[in-house]
Amino acid sequence: MTLSISLSVNGESLNVPLEDTRTTLLDLLREHIGLTGTKKGCDRGQCGACTVLLDGKRINACLTLAASVDGTDVTTIEGLAQGDTLHPVQAAFIEHDGFQCGYCTTGQIMSAVGLLSEGDAGADPERIREGMSGNICRCAAYPGITAAVLDAERRQSESEGTSV
Amino acid sequence: MGAYLQPDTLDEALGILAREPVTIAAGCTDLFAATESQSLNGTVLDVTRIEGLRRIAKDATGWRIGAASTWSDVIAADLPPAFDMLKQAAREVGSVQIQNAGTVAGNICNASPAADGVPPLLSLDAHVEIGAKGGPREVPLAEFLTAPRATVLMPGEMVTAIRIPDVSDKGESRFSKLGARKYLVISIVMVAARLHVQDGFVRDIALSVGACGPVATRLAALEEALRGTPLAGLPDRLQPDLIASALTPITDMRASDEYRREAAVHLLRRVLDDLTLMRSPV
Amino acid sequence: MSVAKPLPHDAAHLHVTGAARYVDDIPTPANCLHLAFGLSEIAFGTITDMNLDDVRSAPGVVTVITADDMPFENDVSPSNHDEPLLTSGEVNYVGQPIFCVVATSHKAARKAARKSRITYDEKQAILSIEDALAADSRFEEGPRVYKKGDAASAIGSATHVIEGAIDIGGQEHFYLEGQAALAQPQENGDMVVMSSTQHPTEIQHKVAEALGVPMHAVRVETRRMGGGFGGKESQGNHLAVACALAARATGRTCKMRYDRDDDMVITGKRHDFRITYRAGFDDTGRIKGVEFVQYARCGWSQDLSIPVADRAMLHADNAYDLPAARIESHRLKTNTQSATAFRGFGGPQGMVGIERVMDHAAHVLDMDPVAIRQCNYYADAEDGGLSAPRKPAASPPEDILDPKKGEDLASRGAATEVRQKPGDSGAEGQTTPYGMAVTDFILGRMTGTLLKTSGYAARRDEIAAWNAENPVIRRGIAFSPVKFGISFTLTHLNQAGALVHVYQDGSIHLNHGGTEMGQGLFQKVAQVAAARFGVGLEAVRITATDTGKVPNTSATAASSGSDLNGMAVKAACDTIRDRMAAHLAERHQADPATVRFADGRVHVGEESYSFAEAAEYAYVGRVSLSATGYYRTPDLSWDRIRGAGRPFFYFAYGAAVTEVAVDTLTGENRILRADILHDAGASLNPALDIGQIEGGYVQGAGWLTTEELVWDDSGRLRTHAPSTYKIPACSDRPDVFNVALWEGENPAETIYRSKAVGEPPFMLGISAFLALSDAVAGCGTQYPALNAPATAEEVWRAIGRARGQVRS
Repeated sequence: MTLSISLSVNGESLNVPLEDTRTTLLDLLREHIGLTGTKKGCDRGQCGACTVLLDGKRINACLTLAASVDGTDVTTIEGLAQGDTLHPVQAAFIEHDGFQCGYCTTGQIMSAVGLLSEGDAGADPERIREGMSGNICRCAAYPGITAAVLDAERRQSESEGTSV
Repeated sequence: MGAYLQPDTLDEALGILAREPVTIAAGCTDLFAATESQSLNGTVLDVTRIEGLRRIAKDATGWRIGAASTWSDVIAADLPPAFDMLKQAAREVGSVQIQNAGTVAGNICNASPAADGVPPLLSLDAHVEIGAKGGPREVPLAEFLTAPRATVLMPGEMVTAIRIPDVSDKGESRFSKLGARKYLVISIVMVAARLHVQDGFVRDIALSVGACGPVATRLAALEEALRGTPLAGLPDRLQPDLIASALTPITDMRASDEYRREAAVHLLRRVLDDLTLMRSPV
Repeated sequence: MSVAKPLPHDAAHLHVTGAARYVDDIPTPANCLHLAFGLSEIAFGTITDMNLDDVRSAPGVVTVITADDMPFENDVSPSNHDEPLLTSGEVNYVGQPIFCVVATSHKAARKAARKSRITYDEKQAILSIEDALAADSRFEEGPRVYKKGDAASAIGSATHVIEGAIDIGGQEHFYLEGQAALAQPQENGDMVVMSSTQHPTEIQHKVAEALGVPMHAVRVETRRMGGGFGGKESQGNHLAVACALAARATGRTCKMRYDRDDDMVITGKRHDFRITYRAGFDDTGRIKGVEFVQYARCGWSQDLSIPVADRAMLHADNAYDLPAARIESHRLKTNTQSATAFRGFGGPQGMVGIERVMDHAAHVLDMDPVAIRQCNYYADAEDGGLSAPRKPAASPPEDILDPKKGEDLASRGAATEVRQKPGDSGAEGQTTPYGMAVTDFILGRMTGTLLKTSGYAARRDEIAAWNAENPVIRRGIAFSPVKFGISFTLTHLNQAGALVHVYQDGSIHLNHGGTEMGQGLFQKVAQVAAARFGVGLEAVRITATDTGKVPNTSATAASSGSDLNGMAVKAACDTIRDRMAAHLAERHQADPATVRFADGRVHVGEESYSFAEAAEYAYVGRVSLSATGYYRTPDLSWDRIRGAGRPFFYFAYGAAVTEVAVDTLTGENRILRADILHDAGASLNPALDIGQIEGGYVQGAGWLTTEELVWDDSGRLRTHAPSTYKIPACSDRPDVFNVALWEGENPAETIYRSKAVGEPPFMLGISAFLALSDAVAGCGTQYPALNAPATAEEVWRAIGRARGQVRS
C-alpha cells in the first residue's frame, strides 16, 4: 500500500509518495524534496534545528509525520527570501552575528519568524529569550540571536507603522 | 506499510478503532520518544482533523477541552483564573514549537510521571471523556492514570475530551516546575495549586505534585487539613509529613529521591505564597 | 586594510538562506549506501558468539562489515593503535562499535543494526576513579609529576593550610551537526572522503591505513563543520574509515552519520576529573606552596588523553606565581567512552583546581576573593610585555627517535612516541611550575580595569546588603582570571601550510590547512590575504580544506587556527606579491621595495594599476602567480616527561565577573550578570572574537552548572539525549552580558599581533561556578566545597554542607 500526500512547500504545490508512515516532515523535506536547509540536530524535538512553519506556525519538522501534513502549507528557510532580497530576520542575523557554525541558524531564523508573527513577545528581550528557548545554539551565539530578533521586530513594527 | 487515516468525524474514528488495532496520533511530540521505534507498525489514526475535537468551550456542566486541542490553544483560550496553572504549565511544555503541535490529551495518554499537564488537571478535578463504538464513558483523571506509561484506555477506545466540572473552576491557581533549565526541560518536580478563598478562609484547595511518584498525585490529606482554615498564614501550615507521605519519588539521572521530596515542599510553599499574596490586601 | 575589522562570517549569506552545505547536505548519487554501527550492550567482556543472520537478511541491507572483513589496519586511534574500528574479541564500553551495516537507507541500516544476537562473557567493568585506582588501570606506567621547589615543606611551614577535593564532571560536545562522513570511490583504487572533521590529515592517514594504500591515494575535503569544540579532532575517524571500507567493498558512494543518541553513546567527551589539593598560605594570603593530585577518567582507549592530562597539569597555576608546587597526574583507564579533546583540552580542569584553592583559602582567611588572587598574581610585564626580554629562537626543538611504523605523527596523541631534546629553558624571573618564564603577563592591569567597569566593589557591598535581608533568594558574585598557554604541546604540530593562486583577472584563490567550524577562521585568514594584496575581501575566495592542496596539516585545535594558518597564508601571499612587485618594478625601473599594494591597486612610482591589471601583466610576463606558504612557531622547546621547558609561544589572558542568584530552598539558580574583559591581542576581527568570547563563556558556564553526564552502575550512559543532557539555551545566558576586548598587542610576533581566541574564553565560565560557591558559602559557616556541575541539586546539597547538615 502506498500513500501519497499533496502539500505546498514555499508556495509550490507538490504531490509526494511516501514509503513509510513513519517518515517525518524533516526527512520528507531533506531526502525527498531535496531542501537541505532544514537541519537535523537531535531528531527528538529538543534542539529546534528543524523548525519550519506549518500553516504559518512554527513546529519541529522532526516530530511531524509527513502523512499528517497533507493539504497544508509549509514554509522552510529556502522560501523566506524574495529573490535576492533577504527576509528582515535573515538580514538581521547577518548584521548582528547571530551565528557561528551556522548549523542551528536556519531553525533559529524560522523560529524567529514564527515568534514575530505570534506577536506577543514585543520588544521585551526576556520574552524573546523565552520564545527562542526551543532553539539551541551550541556555539552560544545567543547575544547576537537576541539582538537580531529584537532588531527584526523593531523593523517589522516600524514598517507596519508606516504602512498604516 | 500500514495505512494512515485522518477521519473527519468521531463516528468514523470510532469505527476504525472498533475494527483494528491502531496507533493514535495527534501532535506526535511524544510519539517517537514513547514508542522508541524506527517505524510505526500497523495503522495510524490521526485524530487532529476530527470535527469538533479541537475546541475548548464551556457547557452546562463544565469545561470541555477537546482531545485535539494543543497547548497553544490552551494558552490562547479565554479561561477563568482557576485555569492559570494549566496555562502556566502549557507555556513550559517544551518549546513553542512543541506547544503548537502537542495536545493536552496526548500528554495524559502518554502517561509520563513527569507529564506537565497532569498536576494542573488533577487540581482542576479533571475527568477524561473516553469514546468507543459501544458508547462513551468518563473516568476521573486520577483513575485514568495507573502507572508510568499506562492508562485504563482499552483497545477500541480513544480520549475525546478532558472535562473540568464547573464546581472546580473556582479560585486562583499557580503552577511551578523545577528543572535543570528554565525552558525545554523535563521536570524534576512540579506542583499545581488551586485555591478558592471566601471571606478570608480557604473554601477549597487542590494541591498536586508531579514527577514524585509513578503518577502525579493530589495531596488529599493535606488539602483536608487546610480546608476551612484562614487564608492568613496559609503557607506556614503546609505540613511536610502530609506531603511526604503522599509521595514516592525515585532517584534517576535527573535527581535523587531525597532532593525531590524536599523540593516538592518548597515548590508548594512557593505557589501558596504567591496565591496568598495575591489575595491579601496590599 | 581588511584586518582588525568586525566583518561578518564569510558564509553569512549561505547560512541565513540555508544554502551552506554540511556533509549530510551534499547531493549523493541515487545508489548511495548508508551505514550504521551495531554497538556493544555491555561495558566489559569478550564476545563469545556473534550471530548476524538477521542483520544480513534485514530489508535494504547490502553487506555487513566485521573485523574479519578488514584486511589492513583495523584501527581508528589517534595515538597508540589501541582502538579498533570494529572489535571481534574484547568489548570495552557500552556503545563500542562491533559491526557495521551497509544498507540502502540510513533508516534501514539503523534498524538492521539492532537485530544482532551477540553473546558475551561479561567481566567486572572498571567504571569509576576508585575502581581504576584499585585495579591500577591506567595509561602510562604511573602518575606523571611536575615539580617546582619543595611544595611539601613549603606547606608544612605555612601559617594556614587548607586541603580538600573537587569532583569536576565531563561534558558532551553536542555539536549541533552530528558526526558525518561520505566516501566516494575513484578510479585506480583512490578514495575521496568528505568529513566533518577538525583534522583532515588524520582522516586521510587512518583511511589510507585501513585501505592499505599510501596517503596519496586518499583525498579528504572539509568545507565546514556544524560545530566541533574538539569533538571532531579524532572522533570522526570511525565514520570516515567505515565509509571508505564500504565504498571500496561495494564500489558505491557511502555515507554515515550518527543519530544523536548514537553520537552521544559512541563518542568521547571531556574528561571528568577529581582533583585533591593541599596548600599553605601566610596571613596576607600569599600562597607558599601547593600540591595537586589530578585524577582523569580517560575511558577505554588512549585517544588524546595523555596531552589532555598534560595540559591540565600545565594550567594548575593559572594566573598565580606559585613559589612551590607539586602536580601529580593519574590517567585512568575505565570502561567508558574514550574521553577526548574538548575546548580547553584539560586546561579548564587544571584551572578549576587552583581557582578552588583560591576560593577555599579566601574563605578560611576571610579575605576578599579578588584580593587573594591579586596578591598571588604573576607580576605584570612592563609595557604590556612588548619590551620584555625574549629568548633567542631555539634550534629545532625535537628529534623523533624511532617512530613506530605508520605512527600518526600529525596527531596530538603521538606525544608519547616523540622524544624531545632535554628542555633547557634557562628561564629567569617568574616562572611557571614547568619552568617557563612568564614575560607577557597583563592580568594585573586587566583586573583593575574590569573591577572598575563591572562596579565590583560596590556590587559586592550591595549584594551583602541584599543577602542580609533575603534569606531565601541569595546572590553571589565572583571574579576569575584566565591565563591560557598557546601552542600545541606536541611541538612539531606547530606548523602550517597554505596555497594561494592569483588568477589573471586578479581574483584570488586561497587554501590553507585549517578547518572552519564556526569560529570564523576562513574569514580571518581571507582578511589577511586581502590585506597583503591590498584588495577587497570580495576578491578572495576561500575554498574547502583539502588534503590534496595543503598536505600534512595539524588539527584545527589548540586555538591555533588563525595563528598558524594566518601566518602561512601571509607567507604565500607575500611570495606572490614580491614576484609581482619585482616584475612591475623592473618594467618601471623602480625599486621593488617601493611598489605598494593598496585600495585594490598596485602603485609603482607615479603609475598605478588595478590589481587585475597587475596580475595580467605578471601573467603575460611569465611570472608565477601561485605559491605555497609555510610557517612554524618559533621559540618552543618542551620536555613533557620532565615537565620542563617552554611549551607555549605566549599566553592569552581574560577575566570575568559573574553574579548569580540562588534559591536556597531548592538550589535553583540563575546567572544575572557577567562582565568580561578579554585579551585577543590586536584582534583580527573584533566581531568574530567577541562571538568566541560570549560563546566560550556560556559553554564554560554550562559545563560547570547544568551539563551533567550520568552513567549507571552497568556503565550505560543515561544522559544520551538532549532531554536529559542540558546545554544552555537562550534563556540561560546572563541577563546582563558585557563583553569587551582588552586594547593591546601580542608581544609575540603573531599574525598582525593578534592572539588566539578559540579556547581561552571557555574558562571565563569558571567565574559563574565561583559565584554559585559564593552564594552558597553565605548560607552557613562551613566551606561548602561545591562540586561541578553545580546542578540545582548539587547547590542544594552544598547549602546543606555550608550549614553543617548531612544529606545522603
